Amino acid sequence: MSLAFDDYGRPYIILREQGSKKRMKGLEAYKSNILAAKAIANTLSSSLGPKGMDKMLVSPDGDVSVTNDGATIVEKMEIQHPTAKLLVELSQSQDAEIGDGTTGVVVLAGKLLEQALTLLDKGIHPLKISDGFDRACDVAIKHLENISEEIDIQANEHEALIQAACTALGSKVVSKRKRELGKIAVTAVLDVADLGRKDVNLDLIKIQTKTGGSVEDTRLISGILIDKDMSHPQMVKEVNDAKICLLTCPFEPPKPKTKHNINISSAEDYKKLYLQEQQYFVDMVKLVKDSGANIALCQWGFDDEANHLLLQNNLPAVRWVSGTDVELIAMATGARIIPRFQEITPEKLGKAGSVKEVQFGTSNERMLVIENCQCTKAVTILIRGGSQMIVDEAKRSIHDAICVIRNLIKDNRIVYGGGSAELACAIQVLQYADEVSSVEQYAIRSFADALEGIPSCLADNCGLNPITSVAQAKARQLQENNHRIGIDCMELGTTDMKEQRIYETLSSKKQQIQLATQVVKMILKIDDVIAPDDY
Amino acid sequence: MSQFLQPTILLLREGTDTSQGRAQIVSNINAVQAVADVVKSTLGPRGMDKMIQTGPKVTISNDGATILNLLEVVHPAARVLVDIAKSQDDEVGDGTTSTTLLAAELLKEAKPFIEEGIHPQIVIQGYRKALELALEKLEGFSINISRDSPEDKRNTLLKCAQTALNSKLLANTKQFFSELVVSAVEKLDPNILDRDLIGIKNVTGGSVTDSFLVDGVAFKKTFSYAGFEQQPKRFENPKICLLNLELELKSEKENAEIRIEKPEEYQQIVDAEWALIYEKLETIVKAGAQIVLSKLPIGDLATQYFADRNIFCAGRVAQEDLLRVQKATGGQVQTTVNGLNPETFGTCGLFEEVQVGAERYNLFKNCPQSRTATIVLRGGAEQFIQEAERSLNDAIMIVRRCFKANKIVAGGGAIELELSRYLRHYARSVTGKTQYIVNSYAKALEVIPRTIAENAGLNSIEIMNKLRQRHAQGGDEGRWYGVDINGQSGVCDTHSSFVWEPSLVKRNALCSATEAACAILSIDETVKNPKSDQDTKMKPKGQPGRPPMGMRR
Repeated sequence: MSLAFDDYGRPYIILREQGSKKRMKGLEAYKSNILAAKAIANTLSSSLGPKGMDKMLVSPDGDVSVTNDGATIVEKMEIQHPTAKLLVELSQSQDAEIGDGTTGVVVLAGKLLEQALTLLDKGIHPLKISDGFDRACDVAIKHLENISEEIDIQANEHEALIQAACTALGSKVVSKRKRELGKIAVTAVLDVADLGRKDVNLDLIKIQTKTGGSVEDTRLISGILIDKDMSHPQMVKEVNDAKICLLTCPFEPPKPKTKHNINISSAEDYKKLYLQEQQYFVDMVKLVKDSGANIALCQWGFDDEANHLLLQNNLPAVRWVSGTDVELIAMATGARIIPRFQEITPEKLGKAGSVKEVQFGTSNERMLVIENCQCTKAVTILIRGGSQMIVDEAKRSIHDAICVIRNLIKDNRIVYGGGSAELACAIQVLQYADEVSSVEQYAIRSFADALEGIPSCLADNCGLNPITSVAQAKARQLQENNHRIGIDCMELGTTDMKEQRIYETLSSKKQQIQLATQVVKMILKIDDVIAPDDY
Repeated sequence: MSQFLQPTILLLREGTDTSQGRAQIVSNINAVQAVADVVKSTLGPRGMDKMIQTGPKVTISNDGATILNLLEVVHPAARVLVDIAKSQDDEVGDGTTSTTLLAAELLKEAKPFIEEGIHPQIVIQGYRKALELALEKLEGFSINISRDSPEDKRNTLLKCAQTALNSKLLANTKQFFSELVVSAVEKLDPNILDRDLIGIKNVTGGSVTDSFLVDGVAFKKTFSYAGFEQQPKRFENPKICLLNLELELKSEKENAEIRIEKPEEYQQIVDAEWALIYEKLETIVKAGAQIVLSKLPIGDLATQYFADRNIFCAGRVAQEDLLRVQKATGGQVQTTVNGLNPETFGTCGLFEEVQVGAERYNLFKNCPQSRTATIVLRGGAEQFIQEAERSLNDAIMIVRRCFKANKIVAGGGAIELELSRYLRHYARSVTGKTQYIVNSYAKALEVIPRTIAENAGLNSIEIMNKLRQRHAQGGDEGRWYGVDINGQSGVCDTHSSFVWEPSLVKRNALCSATEAACAILSIDETVKNPKSDQDTKMKPKGQPGRPPMGMRR
């Protein structure tokens, strides 16, 4: 790229390595940016909705993942283009904030950009377009709040929560079991939720996966599951009324951190040293035993010598428990983490109803289940499934469902899904457009068109005729003044989403529209792209 | 060096390029124009953004200084522009694009004079004279804002912040952010106004309007060891102990070696090490600390020890965060626990760990000596937040400046036009070449309103005519007419529509733009030593080289 030429047509060298840089300006820049972003949105659009399809992504190492989750797809696509990357971040920030609706937000942004492109062709200034979008966004958000309904999350055994979870799970590979999984997710969240502060710490829900079995075998453990087994095969497999000793020190002779050398000059000394080492083991086991503990979990390892002693003393033990697990167990059982054998006291032990080792199928793998803990503040969802891919996808799906439930606990307002909320907003925005006298009117109208893109995309993915079904739904919304009319994706015979019980959280919908508008505005504001000319 | 006659006298090392004379000045001016053209479209409320990719990093920005910096300009004359943009950024924080444009325009106006053979020094003198007059007049025109009541003052600050945010991505939420910025600056010590004490933290996710101001310090939860979750996460009026000390079980001295003669001594060494760390921890607990922050790591042992005693701790707190906690809470950072006493502890009204988006944040609120504030920025994409941060930075700088100086001028090109009118008027009263030059200076000033109008897609010629007419009518009435991007007529009184800027920004912009223009005009020879610059692609002009790749497009 060259910025200027002299009288003889020779370029000035102004920038470093300017020969290898590429510059796009004005309309060319807008268009190339929009096209790149649209390409991403198009890839995702077929994943939207209950009949959305999955994507298979193969990583450079050959790992295959099959997923329907927007954030995961765009993340694994390893996108290079700078503008397209903005959409990736968009999806991820929706994921971080809400956890659900990651596909929808990208599709909406894509639709908005598509509309912006036609407006640009009409010769409207990009900032006028983004101003219009901004105003339309405000109208849409306000309308969403108007049509949202408060639900009672406690009523009817948390039926509303389960339905919302089912909506989130509806589009995933596990949709056949959505009711069961939804229930599991709801119970898990309610177990750890602090309803008074309306706060849910998702770190307290551990999702553990295990290949084998089927998705139906997925279950909730009101306690903790760790992917470890007893350190010695002959140790007891089940401890009831467990008093757990959590250690962060190894069953080994203590080592000073300062560099040290031991010089032994005589055989007696050697013997003494040996005996002393032995004594350490005996003392350690004794200290644990004396405190009343009947199981020891250790963050570090211990050698066979200690293992043998533990077995002899009838003290089941687990080694190499990860730091996060140690913390979770401490929270759940009320144990204090003990850094040193000398500090073991009976008060510091955690209590659990039972600790047992379970085996899965015919495989030799075992896991440790800690149940009925003293203060059940941590739960585990054990996901089973036929293959690694299914298990992984199920994990992502359940994560989405958990996020939805958490959001509902935070803010119990919902809107109806199936594209009905978008349609209702579109109608409202369209009405507003007619009141605006400036150029923005076009942009506002286009915003409404873009919102309609979501139900039309849903219909398309379900094999319905997108144009007819959206037109029908829109007409009925207007005729009956019923904002709950959407697309009947599941072909249940009704388009009233309240009857279909398709619930989505208000916060997620709001966030989708706001974030998409924000990113589109940003893309529209770029009129100059300077990049290395290598792709 | 073909122009040397035989016998060749070699003055310079082979490969050295020199170019000189009038052509050199003109060529420099051309190069400067090209650079200024890049940032031209970012000016004004309808200014656009630039996306610049450097390596894997992508920056989207509207800030003149940022863009110029990322362009990696190597042309020696054009670099001057980058430098003045930077100096404007450092000095006042805003107005970098206008400074660059002004400098380029001054040079453009000077070009015909140079080509016609007027000595550059005469042009320079003329420009200097014009600058002097302009500055004097700027002082006279600027409006003193009454600061009798705090509301008035606050109002002024808000208006100035909004003007600074006008051209940025945050334009639509400028009301919200100007509140945020002004409140943040008000928190600072009015005598020093240390910019470093306003922290900006970015958390992706959420809408921009979810951003909030913390009256105190906020930082992201640091890396924590097992046991952290068992610590209390909320305190009222806590005692905060600030340390620059590692709380871990480790060897006290590197490279130390211990020789143990008897096996019995072994345990003693082990115990000694434990005793050391326990002693430290105990001192802290005994002194009554409730929150322990350290710049260096706090190990798992200490974490659990504190958890057992209902103390909150965070290790590896970033230096700047720790410094701000110190300022806010009135504590003192200790490098040892010896002599730890309650006087060295800080305190705040409320400490809390809260979830912001996907992150957990530690907030210290209602600090007694609150001389610091933190803005937590939310937004959709990483680049969005980064640009938002830069924009807020500009606004903060402006508010800071405005806090001290209470003189403002109207923006939207109004002040430039008024100065231009005055200079034109003055030019008529002088004789000689200076007349032309002062006139040119006046013309160059018009670049600001013209570019604003152009960027907004308005008919710039029509607007300029309207504006000139308004200003020519004179008096206070026409004085503050500037470009209006929203209205039908395209012009309005920008003073009464609250497009306000501190006059300091303009003053500095005029000074540095004129200085830069004069500097470039006074260069009449460039000698480039080949060794000093390895970049072979960088050929001086006038030398036929291999056709650059840039010719393609």
